[in-house]
Amino acid sequence: MKNWEFIAKASGVEIPAPELQRISQTLDALEATFRRLVGDLEVSLEPATVFHAEEDAGDHSGSR
Amino acid sequence: MPVTIREAADALRARQFSSVELTTAALARIERLNAALRAFITVTAEAALKKAAQADAELAGGRDRGPLHGIPIAVKDLFFTRGVRTTAGSLLYRDFVPDHDAAVVERLERAGAVMMGKLNMHELAYGITSENPHFGAVRNPWNVEHSPGGSSGGSGAAVAAGMVYAAMGSDTGGSIRIPASFCGTVGLKPTYGRVSRYGAFPLAWSLDHMGPLARSVRGAATVFDAIAGYDRRDAASSRHPAVETVPEVGCSMRGVRVGFPQGFFFERLDADVESSVRGALARAESLGAAVVPVRLPDMEAVTAVGRVILLCEASAMMEPHLDNRGQFGADVLALLDQGRLLSATDYIQAQRLRRKMQQEFAAVWRQVDCLVAPATPTAAPRVGENTVRLAGREEDVRILTTRLVRGFNVLGLPSLAMPCGLTAAGLPVGLQIVGPPMEEALVLRVGAVMEDGGVGIPPCPTL
Repeated sequence: MKNWEFIAKASGVEIPAPELQRISQTLDALEATFRRLVGDLEVSLEPATVFHAEEDAGDHSGSR
Repeated sequence: MPVTIREAADALRARQFSSVELTTAALARIERLNAALRAFITVTAEAALKKAAQADAELAGGRDRGPLHGIPIAVKDLFFTRGVRTTAGSLLYRDFVPDHDAAVVERLERAGAVMMGKLNMHELAYGITSENPHFGAVRNPWNVEHSPGGSSGGSGAAVAAGMVYAAMGSDTGGSIRIPASFCGTVGLKPTYGRVSRYGAFPLAWSLDHMGPLARSVRGAATVFDAIAGYDRRDAASSRHPAVETVPEVGCSMRGVRVGFPQGFFFERLDADVESSVRGALARAESLGAAVVPVRLPDMEAVTAVGRVILLCEASAMMEPHLDNRGQFGADVLALLDQGRLLSATDYIQAQRLRRKMQQEFAAVWRQVDCLVAPATPTAAPRVGENTVRLAGREEDVRILTTRLVRGFNVLGLPSLAMPCGLTAAGLPVGLQIVGPPMEEALVLRVGAVMEDGGVGIPPCPTL
């Protein structure tokens, strides 16, 4: 599990200790779900940093 | 007084009412109810009456701008309105007066709609309760002890309470569909890029969607038709041709394959919510739809990806202001702090996962034409409730409430929320109809057929 206090300190992000403790629990839960997804991404998979919802949407066409 | 946009438009053309009369009645209603509901931050009464008089003159002179001409509406207070304060529900912008209109405001103005003012919202659109620490907590017209949802809570409340005929909202992780569900209105989150984001305060650039709330499916479609379409000022704006989406009277969904998602969407639901949504699916089948069980990709994973993207983009946007922590409500600050601790690598991986999930989800549309699922797992919680008890476990309200909607922001798919029942306690239950990209006409048609066929609730009781 990540050390959020260390990450905050290393990044120069100042968060009061009680608030940091509260958000650490939420981040731990998110990290647990997210990290397992990242494992086997193919290198050819590019980030959707330019996002067009109508691309790669299958062969549906028009309204019924 | 007319209830829907169509009724009001017909009444105007039949000279049963004037736009000035509709606007005056709306202003009186706002005056009477806003202290209790806190739906509006700014009411533009003088400008509204002037606009209404102009609409009456134009209609009398034969210049008809279409079904929104002379109709009282309002917009969430993150849409720029020239010369009118635009706060985004935040102390940061409490005195900000834009010098230009948002694209949706321009288009609504061109359609002749009468702008009544700016609607209250969750601070910076970054939450789902609309308990705004700076401008007051918005209340649910169905029961003022309960939340209207958010972040477009003022929009949901104003439409449900009959203050306006339609309102504009924004939806980054459910913020149109949640208030629609909690307030018993219709709310449309269109396909990503379908409605211009120009002139709207962003929350997360790649997740923000702009859309209407209204009292009927056709009302939402009418507003959508006025605002949709390419805008070169929005880098994500789609060039896909705009089509008319208002469903015809007597339209059918015979043969439409309505997907009934197994698993995720029907786990951990309030019993009244599950019963109402299943009832709506049964009604859809009796109205001619082919209801087909369908397995979706891992929506828990899609939701997690959405949270990473949102956390990173929102914190990046707010970074210049984060040295002044006192400007933010505690809940928004907690989210902004979380985003600051995620890495660039996390963000990039989330966007790669997003593309993969988009590709996987495309296979669903080979099996079905649309999906019907609950919009929210529960009805509106009480104001101030941070956790709710569901299926024997204590759940965080925010994470629970966004669970069923956030994934469609990640995928950019159109999703229409509409009421489908009331709980035993008399609170609205909402479902969502989700379609392939750019298929707003289909989801609206399915919604209209269901609404015509009796899926819905009575109007909100008069306060």
